[in-house]
Amino acid sequence: MSAAAIEIDGLSVTRGGRTILAVERLAVDAGEVLGVLGPNGAGKTTLLKCATGMIRPSSGSIRVLGHPVGRLGPIGLARLRRRVALLAQILAPGGEMPLTLREVVSIGRTGRAGLLRPLSRHDWRLVDQWIEHLGLRELARQPYGLLSGGEQRKALLAMAMVQEPEILLLDEPTANLDAYWREQIVATLGDLHRKGNLTIVLVCHDLETLPAGTHRVLVLRAGRVVAQGTGAEVLTHERIEDLYGPGLTVLRREGRWLLAPHGAGGCR
Amino acid sequence: MDWLFWAPVMCAGVVTGASTGLLGGYIVGMRIPFLGICVAHAALAGAVFGALCGLTGPSLLVPALAAASISAVAVGLVDPQTVRMDLNVMLGILFSLMMGLAFLGLGLFSVYGVSDNEVRNLLWGSLAFCRWRDVWIMVASAAAELIFVVVFYKEMRAILFSRTHAAAAGVHATLVWTLFLLVASLVLTVNFQTVGGLMIYSLLANPAVAASQLVRGCGRTLVVSAALGAASGLGGLWISAATDLPTGAVIVIVSSLLVVLAIAWKRAWKRGESHVSGEGA
Repeated sequence: MSAAAIEIDGLSVTRGGRTILAVERLAVDAGEVLGVLGPNGAGKTTLLKCATGMIRPSSGSIRVLGHPVGRLGPIGLARLRRRVALLAQILAPGGEMPLTLREVVSIGRTGRAGLLRPLSRHDWRLVDQWIEHLGLRELARQPYGLLSGGEQRKALLAMAMVQEPEILLLDEPTANLDAYWREQIVATLGDLHRKGNLTIVLVCHDLETLPAGTHRVLVLRAGRVVAQGTGAEVLTHERIEDLYGPGLTVLRREGRWLLAPHGAGGCR
Repeated sequence: MDWLFWAPVMCAGVVTGASTGLLGGYIVGMRIPFLGICVAHAALAGAVFGALCGLTGPSLLVPALAAASISAVAVGLVDPQTVRMDLNVMLGILFSLMMGLAFLGLGLFSVYGVSDNEVRNLLWGSLAFCRWRDVWIMVASAAAELIFVVVFYKEMRAILFSRTHAAAAGVHATLVWTLFLLVASLVLTVNFQTVGGLMIYSLLANPAVAASQLVRGCGRTLVVSAALGAASGLGGLWISAATDLPTGAVIVIVSSLLVVLAIAWKRAWKRGESHVSGEGA
């Protein structure tokens, strides 16, 4: 790991007189995998949106790949966003136009190709590779709107991946997916990180989504950081009970974490 | 049939149908068909006030285009997420404002004792009285639209899916969206002058809806939408010329029938497909 990919200093986001995110200091190193946990309304999605300039902070600063996001103009922001892929939590409904899955995935290459240039053969090859990798080849010519929630989620993940980003921001990337595809995607994230020195910030509710190589876990509650550190330091029984209430315990298997009802094992 | 009279009218019908059909592919694709009628009424308001200032004939295009462009850019620059308002709601507010301004202007004609016949024609259009000069203006606006579609094809495809996702992927979504709105205001204003505010709405919506029933993919949908728009214009004019029925009404009915036929064809095709797969099983 090297210099910080994301640096936050005194960041605060206020909406309707309510502070929805307040992070005093946070640095995500280049090549780091950071898991972000917290109950609903903790500010996890807001944190990711601040990193892409989709939400302007009320005060403080956030630097992404060395650029002060809050001070960038539209052109600077567009350039930065080509290097930072975001997989949003809410599935895009798509429009009335019957865009095919392949066309939707190609949106990830559209910004990178730049204005006045069509997508190249290399762009389309990358699009087809990720469609194949995520098991969507049979559906490539199908309209996006006719796909299931899980298939749409994979299409949007492919869209993020074809961007070949330096930072990958994932907001509940395995929502709507069955266990098989959840495991495939977790394995893919692990591979990407190992091969490409990719920085990953992964927001999730299911601890199973955190890849084995997750370096740090950040816990947010009501917009504030309540804990951060390695998985072993943060994901304690007390913390899980504090976050999700009694009745759940945390298990560790081969570097991965999962939540289970009490009596199902315990920390190992 | 008097071909000398009908030739420019038929050409205008084809060009209007194709250019509004192509534009409709985007507008319906983004689920904002209200944009068409909103911008058309802004053009009407501009033309009405232009006429009040003494402008006549083709020169009315200038204030009409200015008003349409200002309203389109206003829509483009306001971020629905920032104002926490759906784009269709914003368009509704702008539409009612523009309609109010247009009718205020029409009311002022009687106050000043001036004839408002010329601007009233804009509401209903005057396609049957279209001449070659009008056709060339329509061709020029259609060419500008086509250039925009070719140059910004991939960006508009991303915006069609979702402006938020396009922007998040580093597409210059606001710039391209604003340019699209300017092109839309040009096409709508030019065609509005000859086909009227009511017919333009059906030519925007119906071919695009029919196309989305028939084909998949952005490029194919846009091409089929433009072709169906041209077919609506030409077919409607042909029937009108042969039967002496009102031109605008016939074009609207033809374009609506195309939607019905497209839905029926899609259902029949799906039924046939499931029948074949049932036999295969």
